[in-house]
Amino acid sequence: MSISAEYAKEHINDPAVLCCRREAGTTLSHHDFEDPAIFDDLVSSGLLKLDGALKIGEAMGATLTKTLDSLNAITKDCVDKVQDMNAGSGEAAAVSAPAESHVATGATTSVAGGKLKIHIGEGKGIDLEIPMGLGGGVAASTGSAVAATGAAGATATAGAASGEEKVVRTLTRKHYNITEVKRGDKTKIEGTTLYIRKGIEKEAVETQELVHALKLDIITKDKYHTYSDTIMDTQPIATKEGDSELGSGVTRVLDNVVMLLTGTTDEGVQIGEFGSSEGYLDENIMWNRPSCPDYGDILIRGEVKIENKKNMERPGPLAAHKAFDVITQEIRMAMKELDDSLVVNTETFEQVRRPGKKKVALVKEIMGQGAMHDNLILPVEPVGVLGAHPNVDLCNVPVVCSPLEVLDGCIHALTCIGPASKEQSRHYWREPMVLEMLHDKEVDFAGVIFVGSPQINSEKFYVSRRVGMTCEAMDVEGAIVTTEGFGNNHVDFTSHIEQIGMRGIKVVGMSFCAKQGALVTGNKYITAMVDNNKSEAGIENEILGNNTLCPEDAVRAIMMLKAEMAGEAIKKPEKEWNPNVKSQNVELISSVTGKPVELVKNETSLPMSEKYKKKYANAK
Amino acid sequence: MATKKKSNAKTKATAKSSIKKAVKGMKKVAKSTAKKVEKGVKKVAKKATKAVKETTKALKSSGEIVLLLKQGVGKPSVPCVKKGDKVQVGTLIAKPQGLGANLHSSVDGVVSQVTDTAIYIKAGKVPIDISKSKFKRITADKKDLLACVAEAGVVGMGGAGFPTAAKLNLDLHGGHVLVNAAECEPVLAHNMAQLVQFPNETIKGIQYIMKITNAKQGIIAIKQKHTHEIESILKALKGIDNIRVHLLPDIYPMGEERAVIRETLGILLPVTALPSEANAVVINVETVLRVYEAIEFGRPAVSKNLTVSGKIKGINNGVKVFYDVPIGLKVKDAIEAAGGIDGKYGEIIMGGPFMGKPCKLDDPITKTTGGIIVTEPFKDYKGAKVGLLVCACGANEDRLKDIASKYNMKVVDVEYCKQAKDPKGNGVYKCENPGNCPGQALKCMNIKKAGATEILISNCSDCTNTVMGSAPGLGLNVHHATDHIFETVGMPVQRHLTKSKFIEGPIPEGCTASRNPESNEPGGIHPVQVHHEDSAKGTSSNVDYSKPYEFRENTPDGELLISIESGSDISIKYE
Repeated sequence: MSISAEYAKEHINDPAVLCCRREAGTTLSHHDFEDPAIFDDLVSSGLLKLDGALKIGEAMGATLTKTLDSLNAITKDCVDKVQDMNAGSGEAAAVSAPAESHVATGATTSVAGGKLKIHIGEGKGIDLEIPMGLGGGVAASTGSAVAATGAAGATATAGAASGEEKVVRTLTRKHYNITEVKRGDKTKIEGTTLYIRKGIEKEAVETQELVHALKLDIITKDKYHTYSDTIMDTQPIATKEGDSELGSGVTRVLDNVVMLLTGTTDEGVQIGEFGSSEGYLDENIMWNRPSCPDYGDILIRGEVKIENKKNMERPGPLAAHKAFDVITQEIRMAMKELDDSLVVNTETFEQVRRPGKKKVALVKEIMGQGAMHDNLILPVEPVGVLGAHPNVDLCNVPVVCSPLEVLDGCIHALTCIGPASKEQSRHYWREPMVLEMLHDKEVDFAGVIFVGSPQINSEKFYVSRRVGMTCEAMDVEGAIVTTEGFGNNHVDFTSHIEQIGMRGIKVVGMSFCAKQGALVTGNKYITAMVDNNKSEAGIENEILGNNTLCPEDAVRAIMMLKAEMAGEAIKKPEKEWNPNVKSQNVELISSVTGKPVELVKNETSLPMSEKYKKKYANAK
Repeated sequence: MATKKKSNAKTKATAKSSIKKAVKGMKKVAKSTAKKVEKGVKKVAKKATKAVKETTKALKSSGEIVLLLKQGVGKPSVPCVKKGDKVQVGTLIAKPQGLGANLHSSVDGVVSQVTDTAIYIKAGKVPIDISKSKFKRITADKKDLLACVAEAGVVGMGGAGFPTAAKLNLDLHGGHVLVNAAECEPVLAHNMAQLVQFPNETIKGIQYIMKITNAKQGIIAIKQKHTHEIESILKALKGIDNIRVHLLPDIYPMGEERAVIRETLGILLPVTALPSEANAVVINVETVLRVYEAIEFGRPAVSKNLTVSGKIKGINNGVKVFYDVPIGLKVKDAIEAAGGIDGKYGEIIMGGPFMGKPCKLDDPITKTTGGIIVTEPFKDYKGAKVGLLVCACGANEDRLKDIASKYNMKVVDVEYCKQAKDPKGNGVYKCENPGNCPGQALKCMNIKKAGATEILISNCSDCTNTVMGSAPGLGLNVHHATDHIFETVGMPVQRHLTKSKFIEGPIPEGCTASRNPESNEPGGIHPVQVHHEDSAKGTSSNVDYSKPYEFRENTPDGELLISIESGSDISIKYE
């Protein structure tokens, strides 16, 4: 179908093909060109041949010398002239405004007392390009606006000149090694053994009306072939030291052990919405994903039973998390007593601002539809409950966090979407995108914007406009937008990209898409996308964490964003999901950076469950 | 019919005598009319003449006339007669409530029934041509032109049925009266016949309308191929310099209201605009004649010119044109008068091939009935999967579904042309730029993807041509909503477009023509091929659409960029 003038401008390098019959003598404009977006289909069905086709930019404004039917490519021999795209069209042509306007028929120009008045009796193809500085004669209001921009530019330049990095804050993690978890009379850590008080389960249950049972199991590597209900969350065990606030100061963390929350209702309905990961742990966990337990970790599993029918309402899953946190909190308290002599490793994260470098932000869309699709933001303790606010209660509006807050567990994830793409609490604790942006010296990482994904479309657009405004106010040049899940959340995910893109900010999207999760909506700003898929078949395979964002995705996204900010074009996606696109990009990055990008394993490295076999049979 | 002079001179005696003459003249015309109709139709020439002769006789009609209370746009009229009342031709039988038109009896007889939707009149034998019947004159003063039109109950006879008095009740401030003589629907022939038969009367009608609307100029828009009719009009226009003829290309839908404006004035209105926004009214050529009759003779609008065609005995792929058929006569009466249905048939269309709707034999003829076409039986496609491509210029979605079911096709997808807009949201679609295709490849691909093997379209000539550029290549069998009709009357079906959208070469003196925008040939009106980007957004009477231009502003790198594709009277202020 014919295209708009704006669209034609974006596609000046695409082949010019007539959308309809046009008679000899027609001066070609955007009304005459077919949409290049459908050329692949047309070519593959043999309807269109693009041999010798001029570009849209070359054909624009030329006159047809013969009558041609629809879907004919415009070639040199059927137009009177070929436009020189370098000098011919648009802005470049109109160099001097006054001269240009005098060429136009009957045009009069007068600049007096800050007023520019142009009257053109009749004209065609008029381009006026007027320098805003126009002899200092522009009106006051505009003048000040220009000045303001100028000032901002000056600051940036000054910053760039000095190029001084500034460490905004630091976060130190002290690691304590745990080799054994036992039950005991008191919750305590002795050497590398963690004791959890016997009977604590009962107290935890009593804190929550909706929680009817909680069973604790210590699952070590040799017992990974244990059956489990759906995994609701994987959490690091960490606590703040002294007066340190979340996101700065010192955090203590236990290594080689994680909290694993699972749950059903009393009658055994899994607390999950789109798929669940119940089954044998070794067949259903994609070990070593940022989101997941690492292979070898001791799993402190809480099996929670909540009231029937409460699995799909907000209070149910929240109660399960709260009850489980009673146990974690007691461990945290025990950790505060630990002696520094037990620290096996210390790592320090610096939040560095790099003035003069391209300022970028990370937008993370987190679930906020309610029920189990919620996230607790900014608890007092890493991945705790106390002090946090559910983003549903915050109406899902954007909340800006520092990268260090993210790495310090500022998100307690209640999310229970498709197991393969959901980001559990541990994901944020080691979010590869944050780490990548934090350590990239070529960008100035301004912050992480969390935005909830509401249920209702009007609310989705409400929050995405806020995202756009936040990015605009932060004055970033580039942004990466991530999401978890697929389908419903893609509505706001694409809207975030649009809201950011329409402000002239370069934007890269990251989501699980592949075969099953193709975007349901789109807009013209979605030109750069990184697919988080790792599954062989390109599906939500219900293997915990399988399709979540990994370092190999983060490096592609940041490279893509840098390319965009440098004015390079991102190639169009292929018609259908093709995993080779990713491998080519990875290869390209490896060869450019000289650092090989190591790809993570996927579900094929796990023993195959019955459920999984069926799923694959269906996928094929 | 009486010439201009005569009718002026004999105001009183007139009606009768002039009608007599009209009938006389009509016989002549029918002959000449038929001659110049397209090839297939040529054969009918003699028969059409004969038909007119025959039909001046009384018809053995069903004896009952059904006058629908709703004959056009507006609310149904309210009956002002009751059962048992005697009426004669011209008796007022229903009055409008709000926007609407008076309804008069078209026969002499007795009211037999009054229902919520119609008035039934028992009439015995009814002539199929009532031009010479006595009638009851309207009471309005002849000098009050608009009152005459209103009282006579004239409505738009091109098919829309908008009350003419309401349409003409405006001041064009020296604008244009555009007479739609495109007769764009193929097969139909009664408008062209009229131009040969009643050129002077038609022109007189235009002058009345120009006076009513305070227009400076009248333009008769007619397809270039109708050379004989053009000759007839030009002859009648001698000495009249404020009415000109504009030549249209032979493309469907040049007769669409906004297409007429675009072709004759070079202005493309958005779908939401009325012609008044281009300082113009567009009026069908038969309506013009009815206005003339109302003012000149005080004759109410009680009859309609008709084309009957299709599977009719003895018609041989031709058409029969009837003048002044009493409204309320049944479809079957008109078909009988034309010769009767020839064997088995598929459906009966009321209207033209593109916009017509199926009707029943007992349905009454109304003030907007233009054609009655009997088609061949439908082919059986045995449940083949079909995708519909709906266009604003032809059959709507319901009609296409109706045709698909008659073909025994299963609808698997419905696509709308990009330019089909429903500005009021009431299911009435209008084309943004009638006759200028926006491209259809994507629609065809969607239909293919939906699993269809057939595509049924209702598009105009240009869009149909575009569909032919992709659908067959995709393996879709193309069917046009008009196929069964064209096949019945022996015309080639709508497929590829081989004609130009523009008039080339010399044209008669004093005429204008739709010329290629790049053409410098004389008499050129350059139809705007570009529609407003914002035409879908509501209309505002403050917007002057007569001066279309696109305006864009950018500030890349601190510069102000103004790009104007084309325009006139452009003012740019920077204060």
